[in-house]
Amino acid sequence: MAYEALDFYDIDSLLTEEERMVRDMVRDWVEDRVLPNIEDACRDGVFPDEWRVEIGEMGILGAPLEGYGCPGLSYIAYGLICQELERGDSGVRSFASVQGSLAMYPIWDFGSEEQKEKYLPGMAKGELVGCFGLTEPDYGSNPGDMITRAEDKGDHFLLNGAKMWITNGTIADLAVVWAKLEGEIRGFIVEKGDQGFSAPEMKGKHSLKASVTSELVFQDCKIPKDRILPDVKGLRGPFSCLNNARYGISWGAVGAAQSCFNSAREYALSRIQFGHPIASFQLVQNKLSWMLREITKGQLLAYHIGKKKGDGSWIPEQISLAKMNNVDMALEIARMSRDIHGANGILDEYPVMRHMANLESVKTYEGTHDIHNLIIGRHITGIQSFTREP
Amino acid sequence: MSVTVISESSNGALHPVTAQLVGAASSLGGSITVICPGGVGSSDAANIAGVTKVISVEGDCFESYDCVAWSKAISPLVEGDLVLSSSSAVGRDLASSIAASMGVPVVQDVTSLTEGFSATRPIFSGKAIEEVGISSPCAISLRANSFESAGDGGNAEVSSVNVSQDITVAVKQALAKASERIDVSEADIVISGGRGMGEPANFSHLEEVADILGAAVGASRAAVDTWGEIPHSMQVGQTGKTVTPNLYIAVGISGAIQHLAGMRSSKFILAINKDADAPIFGVADYGIVSTWEEALPVLKEHLSDLLSN
Amino acid sequence: MGVAVLLKQVPDTTAKISISGDRVDEASITKWSISPYDEYALENAIKLKESGFGDVVAITCGPSRSAKCLTEAAAVGADRLIHIISESPLDSIQVQSLLSAAVKESGCEVVMCGKQAADTNSGSTGPGLATTLGFSCVGGVTEVSIEGGNASATRLGPSGLEQVEVAVPCVFTFDKGDSELRRPNVRGIMMAKKKPVDVFSAEDLGVDVGDSMVEIKSHSSPPEKKPGQKFVGSDSIPEVVSKLREEANVI
Repeated sequence: MAYEALDFYDIDSLLTEEERMVRDMVRDWVEDRVLPNIEDACRDGVFPDEWRVEIGEMGILGAPLEGYGCPGLSYIAYGLICQELERGDSGVRSFASVQGSLAMYPIWDFGSEEQKEKYLPGMAKGELVGCFGLTEPDYGSNPGDMITRAEDKGDHFLLNGAKMWITNGTIADLAVVWAKLEGEIRGFIVEKGDQGFSAPEMKGKHSLKASVTSELVFQDCKIPKDRILPDVKGLRGPFSCLNNARYGISWGAVGAAQSCFNSAREYALSRIQFGHPIASFQLVQNKLSWMLREITKGQLLAYHIGKKKGDGSWIPEQISLAKMNNVDMALEIARMSRDIHGANGILDEYPVMRHMANLESVKTYEGTHDIHNLIIGRHITGIQSFTREP
Repeated sequence: MSVTVISESSNGALHPVTAQLVGAASSLGGSITVICPGGVGSSDAANIAGVTKVISVEGDCFESYDCVAWSKAISPLVEGDLVLSSSSAVGRDLASSIAASMGVPVVQDVTSLTEGFSATRPIFSGKAIEEVGISSPCAISLRANSFESAGDGGNAEVSSVNVSQDITVAVKQALAKASERIDVSEADIVISGGRGMGEPANFSHLEEVADILGAAVGASRAAVDTWGEIPHSMQVGQTGKTVTPNLYIAVGISGAIQHLAGMRSSKFILAINKDADAPIFGVADYGIVSTWEEALPVLKEHLSDLLSN
Repeated sequence: MGVAVLLKQVPDTTAKISISGDRVDEASITKWSISPYDEYALENAIKLKESGFGDVVAITCGPSRSAKCLTEAAAVGADRLIHIISESPLDSIQVQSLLSAAVKESGCEVVMCGKQAADTNSGSTGPGLATTLGFSCVGGVTEVSIEGGNASATRLGPSGLEQVEVAVPCVFTFDKGDSELRRPNVRGIMMAKKKPVDVFSAEDLGVDVGDSMVEIKSHSSPPEKKPGQKFVGSDSIPEVVSKLREEANVI
């Protein structure tokens, strides 16, 4: 039957017509194109290239960015896009998040005029795919100690090092890479085909199977001098990208949770045990009620932080809370939904186990659950507890 | 009160639904004029009990179908306050166009009709029933098999009217109909097979029944996955298509919850399964406990008898 | 020049319909959409425009909520939007007189709509409007192309699939064809938002609609289905087949 997204507090009534139309456009696309094919994509471990093309045609990449062929939508619309894509699959939302928030955004905010004109229009259309290289094999939660180095060789930069867990890496036409130049973190644009650059795909994931995850390897990688992002230095660069991506995840998680809730509700109503639908049993109702409660709270968090993103009144800790809470609740809901589905819940007939496995990654990437707790802990106490040093 | 019935034809003969239209008209009382477009079946129409007179309207315009031209030819012959047609595509067209030319409202697809007029019709694909009161002359199309047929034994006078009406829609060529089968998600009738069909080759028996009914052929996931020969596009269920046809025929399908999720909203479900305890019988309106080998030939025979009539 | 496309907003075909008192509870309908066959009419009209046949004028007649279907049409390429506001249910004569006034206002001589709307499934508007306007009418078409004053259409008529020719002015009612409906995109949605809607009342169009001659007395739920009936053996098939016709009315 038709998908009815849980919206207990009528968030829909807070949306503009444009936001609703964008939401419905993405929802219809997910329904037509993602859901019928997602299990095959997962089994084959691919992100179908036609999805890239069609997402590009919809014009939703880099949603909140303006100019240079970017859509210029509201932050709420961007959130809704993430919600609908992730209702399909976290991997699809990851593609759009990385492209928009992690690759387009730094070029848009910190790039030179020439860089913006060169890359952004093609990226907004999905014709150029971008990725984002911050995390390294040995530095995840602690990116400040990254090893990747850039050297100024006069007429070019030389990059050395490796990045890991890079979404879109192998399929990317360009990578925004963070590396230390004379001890200071700077952003560089590395293009596919640059000498000394390779992006082998990482295989064997039990999660985000329909998403490309790669290493980025730089061995005396030579790039022209005009590929440095001129307008940012230090961790502020990557962190401002992450704030946008984390914001999108807080909505995306709602989409995954809505999908799991929807499946659980339908299943509970049609599954007969002891002569009655299991939805009529109190323990099942308790679970469904808990799911609705958590999703509703998550929606309100996402919506409110979206409004604050729009008017600029936000602080990063608020985004940490939304990302952390919503992914956590979505993962719990996926597990609970699997429980309601009984043994059937492990089958690919239902989306729940796939969402559950995906959300394990989403809980960890873009700032782990624990790191977000530490960010909020520091906000509460004024004492940072990331390191042993004072 | 007098009623004009627009007769329905198929393959150059009077369609049996015409007798149902007359039956509905008779229940309202008064005289009944049957207009036969193109003169098709006028003598058979005269034999329907209760018909007062038959007008055979003839002319070049009836050689191919042009809704406005036909209605212009027919409208001047209409007598009385009520025009009845069948709710076939042509019947609806004519009811609409005749009503518009007379400046009266039209109500389509009516399943019950009483004097005055009060009519009911299904709306929202049958998810609700609407009752309307019509306070003027009108045209109404009636759904087939919703009204008692008038018997035969009538002996109405047949008059012929020749009209010269320009036709504006010219048929240039008949096109071969694409022979590919309709998709399960679009068909009014779906017949699906499961692993109980034994092997994919046996789906030909389902196709034969489908041909008689104009149905689409579907399959359960078990059938699709087990043999790898039946395309996923035929799969009905949780990970296949969700279908809501008027009639869903499940053959050799046990009725796993994933299959039921894709077809339980069908209006009517007929299940044929040799296992009397199969869960499919829990959602079936009509369940037949039988092997498909025994059931399908008999089903085919009776359906083709009924539908060739 | 130009094509008028008539769009009706209907509950999405997958929406649940519930009855409150003796009326369908519109407030409980969560999704309204352009009636599916009308979407094929719109798609063909946009294709005609792309082949150089003038603007697409989208017209809807209905309550204020139905403005949404005009915006949706604009998002995929409709150029002009006309909303005939009518809050109360209208009979076919009223609908057709309003639509015919709007079509005249648009100056279009080619009109496209679905062969029937998904709410009432009536199929009255196309042929009725053609008759009112004095246009020709071709029903159940899947494809229309126009050259000069002549249109060529593929239709499924009473004698099968055929290619027909008809002179403009003409009303075409659409069936679902092979054409893939285009998806909107963000650019289209943003432009649609800026496109003005010409809102007309009956008076604005100079139409005296009078009172509806068809009064909705009640809506009710369809009769409950009988509990399932089970038969044993293939001998029961004649009985089941006759029940499929007499009871279920599905064959």
